[in-house]
Amino acid sequence: MQTREIVVINPLGLHARACARIVELASRFRCRVSLVIGKRRASAESILAIMMLAATVGTTVRIETDGPDESAAMSAMVALFAGGLDVRV
Amino acid sequence: MVSFALHGVGVSGGIAIGRAQLVSHATLEVAHYVVPPRQIPAEVERFSTAVKEVQRELEALHLAMTSGDVPGEFGAFLDVHWMILNDPTLSDAPKKIIAEQRCNAEWALTQQMGVLVEQFDQIEDPYLRERKADVVQVGERVLKRLMGKRGATAANAEEQTILVAHDLSPADVIQFKHHHFAAFLTDLGGVTSHTAIVARSLNVPAVVATHNARQMIRDGEMLIVDGGNHVVIVNPDRAVLAEYRLKQNELEIARQKLKRLRTKPAETIDGELVELEANIELPDDLPQALENGAMGVGLFRSEFLFLNRDGLPSEEEQFEAYRKVAEGMEGKPVTIRTFDLGADKQHELLEGLTRVAPNPALGLRAVRFCLAEPKLFLTQLRAILRASHYGKVRILIPMIASLGEIDQTLAMIEHAKESLREQGAPFDPGVAIGGMIEIPAAVLSISAFVRKLDFLSIGTNDLIQYTLAVDRSDETVSHLYDPMHPAVIKLLALAIGSANRMKSPIAVCGEMAGELAMTRLLLGLGLRNFSMHPSHLLTVKQRVLQTEVKALMPVVDRMKRVDDPAKLISLLDRLNA
Repeated sequence: MQTREIVVINPLGLHARACARIVELASRFRCRVSLVIGKRRASAESILAIMMLAATVGTTVRIETDGPDESAAMSAMVALFAGGLDVRV
Repeated sequence: MVSFALHGVGVSGGIAIGRAQLVSHATLEVAHYVVPPRQIPAEVERFSTAVKEVQRELEALHLAMTSGDVPGEFGAFLDVHWMILNDPTLSDAPKKIIAEQRCNAEWALTQQMGVLVEQFDQIEDPYLRERKADVVQVGERVLKRLMGKRGATAANAEEQTILVAHDLSPADVIQFKHHHFAAFLTDLGGVTSHTAIVARSLNVPAVVATHNARQMIRDGEMLIVDGGNHVVIVNPDRAVLAEYRLKQNELEIARQKLKRLRTKPAETIDGELVELEANIELPDDLPQALENGAMGVGLFRSEFLFLNRDGLPSEEEQFEAYRKVAEGMEGKPVTIRTFDLGADKQHELLEGLTRVAPNPALGLRAVRFCLAEPKLFLTQLRAILRASHYGKVRILIPMIASLGEIDQTLAMIEHAKESLREQGAPFDPGVAIGGMIEIPAAVLSISAFVRKLDFLSIGTNDLIQYTLAVDRSDETVSHLYDPMHPAVIKLLALAIGSANRMKSPIAVCGEMAGELAMTRLLLGLGLRNFSMHPSHLLTVKQRVLQTEVKALMPVVDRMKRVDDPAKLISLLDRLNA
């Protein structure tokens, strides 16, 4: 399993379309991708779970990837977050 | 019945008088009943079917809006809704509830929606909290399916119907394009809301942000919607009704006057002839184009062929569609744009192509995509060429950035012609080939392009997007999308000026061509060919008839050089005064 902490940098936080990007990206990998904030955990398979994390700008999110292609998934996720969750879906 | 007025924001002008039709909140009408154990599997199945149906509905809507008048933003929202629908917490959890509580599917779904909404309500950030609206909209779609209702029913043809809703989801709004509502009224919304955009494109009045219209108005009540004055009158008394009927008549008379311009040539006061053509999306749009006096079809978007289907459209099918329009225009030019498909459509069409571009607007789309899929491109080119035997067909290539792409495309067209010749299929050997100017690089290379192409057409929407690097569908930057940016005006001046000097026909077929405020500026820049949504043709023609190009020149020449946006706006106002 890989973990990385990253800060949400886009001004509107993890809004619906940003969440859609995350789900869409995670679906391309075979490993399990989860987002964790404090004690709350959301599977990147569920757009609603991620929306309900309600991560606003500045929130630190722990990304976890676990499975065969976990390192590729991690770098893709980190790139997505670092790019401000480019909102095009 | 008490008469009262509601105020909101009129986002589309005009007056409509009709009966209210409320868009119901399905959640309020859900009944609870116990399902016998034997029937539980069937009840679960009924729920799954409804989810699948809504899934297909959203997919069909997504395909139905391929480019065209529908902003890309709708697509993104539909994607979000599709994902929410497929989220196990919405599409699986109710199945468990049905089994555990032995209740009907509607009740189970309502329970689960309640749980989700409650969780959203605990979110502190107001913006993120409001996203529960998406969950409710998706849930309600499924509920309506379960309850055997479709979103809204078609309006009665004899009586005008006015749609009253709390808010409209993008999917609702796209569907309403096909109903004939006389006006739209919503509690929420603003100038850029979906309701506003669709109402304007349908040319019907709309008042949004009325706060509580949906609660105050009852089904079937008489309404007057005055979009221009931001007001709604509920249960008007006879005097008020008479007054508004009179006003409505006056507007209608003005519209009829416009209609008389249908056959009049579009000629400025100083004798400059202007070609006004129509943008169409479907062969069925043809009558509207002709009714409004279109001198041709300046842009026939071919993406409709992908509507509501799984595979690729065959050559025969394409040929029939193109021929219908070519014949329908009776010798007037019909400009068919080859597929302008973006990355979002490709993987639905071509199996195995699941790579999603990180930046679709800069990715494999339009002519790039067609050149990468030569079989698909060749099929379309053959179909267009075959149709050219039946009318004056022209081929328009979207999103050209380089000479290399022009050469490759011309070679493909030559190849298509060769294969038709071998088969003895008739086509017009002199079919004109043009390119869309949508990328700043194309504007700067225009003199080279002119030598290879028969005509050019500026797509202003994409040109603005690429010039300013602004995605209009991204709400965080959409305010930066500015057709009056000095750089945009300079590029337009350069493109039109160069083409005119080289005596190459050039048109504008983007949204700008149909905007009355831009007509004089474009005329002053030297544009003589406008292609627009048919509903704008006559108002633009009226403006052309009232314009003396020579008199515009001093102001327009200054506008080409101005760098101060505020100054540019004040000069535009002066042109339109």
